[in-house]
Amino acid sequence: MFDREEDVLDRVIDQLRRPVEMDPTLDAAVMSRVAAGEDRLGRLAAVWDWVSRPRDIAVSPLAGLGLAAVLVGIVVWLAGRSPQIAAPAAGPSTVQFVVVAPGAASVSLVGDFNDWDGGATPMQATRNGALWSVTVPLTPGRYRYAFLVNGSRWLADPAAPRVQDDFDAPSSVVTVGG
Amino acid sequence: MTSDAEIVRRVRDGDTAAFAVLVARYRDRLGRYAVHMLGDRGDAEEALQDAFVRAYRSLARCREDGQFGPWLFGILVNRCRTAGRRAARRHRMFVRDEVSLERASAPETSDRAEWDDTVRWAMERLAPPLREAFLLKHVEDMEYEEMSRLTGTGVSALKMRVMRAREQLRALLTEVERV
Repeated sequence: MFDREEDVLDRVIDQLRRPVEMDPTLDAAVMSRVAAGEDRLGRLAAVWDWVSRPRDIAVSPLAGLGLAAVLVGIVVWLAGRSPQIAAPAAGPSTVQFVVVAPGAASVSLVGDFNDWDGGATPMQATRNGALWSVTVPLTPGRYRYAFLVNGSRWLADPAAPRVQDDFDAPSSVVTVGG
Repeated sequence: MTSDAEIVRRVRDGDTAAFAVLVARYRDRLGRYAVHMLGDRGDAEEALQDAFVRAYRSLARCREDGQFGPWLFGILVNRCRTAGRRAARRHRMFVRDEVSLERASAPETSDRAEWDDTVRWAMERLAPPLREAFLLKHVEDMEYEEMSRLTGTGVSALKMRVMRAREQLRALLTEVERV
């Protein structure tokens, strides 16, 4: 099979250097994860920026005394109250869906939650039109969904578990916790 | 073609979608290393995804915008190490790369497939540090100093690993030849 031992290594290296093509849908999966992370981080950063921003407040000595008296009054009033813990409200959670669809004219979110109606939940393009996103309120449960590109092309979410629907079209699953 | 440095600056300035250009640019180049290092296409894609996402999140730490490629490669090497340890715990075997086989031209399909399997079989038998050093040196064509910066391993240790990898591969494949 080989003339010389060194030929063996040369052939191994040639074989390993051959181009390898990865699944192009990997790009969309990466960008979905990037966008989802950025959205969370962006909101946190905005809140933190607002809370931590230093401010100059001018208060006259008299107003300062009045403010201190009001604060003391609030503390005394709170201390005298019996503790009340509000029960957590069982309502819908807000879920953001993101997909990369560069060049698309329109993208809609369709799923169990909107009866697979292509006109019910249009997605908005961000910046250069490559990223599309929409936020929907969902009550706890398991939902199947997909993206409808240009009103006709069916696209499963590359960043979510995939299932086949009754018509062999790919769709994805999202589970919203209670 | 827009330079990496320019795209990195755009992403830092808030143009998140521009990062997709870097993903597309480096996907296959880095994918080759991950596939050969991990021996499993699914594990390789997972490691590659993780590397891109981590790179995006820590883009501020990429000190020289023009060095995005080597910096990203370093992240991938670390992700492959982690994924390799996880795969070893699962005792997963190397699997045939079906996509590459499908793309092999018809007249040489059987020879190519057999050679693919033989190379994979031999690479699987190298200890991960030897496989890593061999791939970086001979497949990614890196200098030892660059490999050292990327892996955190000394140059002399890397030279030793490459030499041992070469010896083991030669022995393994010569053995196959005799069978």
